[in-house]
Amino acid sequence: MTSPPPQLRSQVIALYKNLLYMGRDYPKGYAYFRDRLKSVFLKNSGVKDPDQIKVLIGRGEFVIKELEALYMLRKYRALKHRYYEKDEATTSATTSSSDKKAPTKTQ
Amino acid sequence: ISQHAIQRCSQWRCYASASSAGLSQDKITERVMTVIKLFEKISAEKLTIESHFMKELGLDSLDHVELLMAIEDEFGFEIPDQDAEKLNKPSDIIKYLCEKMEVDYK
Repeated sequence: MTSPPPQLRSQVIALYKNLLYMGRDYPKGYAYFRDRLKSVFLKNSGVKDPDQIKVLIGRGEFVIKELEALYMLRKYRALKHRYYEKDEATTSATTSSSDKKAPTKTQ
Repeated sequence: ISQHAIQRCSQWRCYASASSAGLSQDKITERVMTVIKLFEKISAEKLTIESHFMKELGLDSLDHVELLMAIEDEFGFEIPDQDAEKLNKPSDIIKYLCEKMEVDYK
């Protein structure tokens, strides 16, 4: 039984580290994310086949991409909510009233 | 205006000289031990400067990664993975940080 090459091990460790960094912004909390991440990694810790390990690493990188997308979407929604809700209210007020040009927040 | 600029500069951390930034081995030791004690997977009673994280304090390699991330946050720089895997006791970490921050290590 050959043990997997050490560079795979360091790739796994780097993946775990990146996932932990991503987990800091996780909506349900860092501890929740970390505990679940750890249990998944421990569950797969017995895997010895290098190809299978690479598949699992790929899966982890996919999770990172998904989290990035989630966070970007969350930021977009927060900004939109913050800046555009008011403007929709003022523009609807100004179009309903006559030709009075009310100052809006956006230029 | 220049006085205001000087005041703002003093609020930034100065890595130019370790002693001018008030770093000493004792301060580093104190900060390292505080970070480790705050790590909930470690019981503060068993912890000494020479305790081995995995053999004596019961951490696994994933906990080790997390602990070193906390150290990185405290001291403000990243520790590369090949260095990280050699840091198995608090004393290793203290020695490594002293070397990296050019503080005398006794």
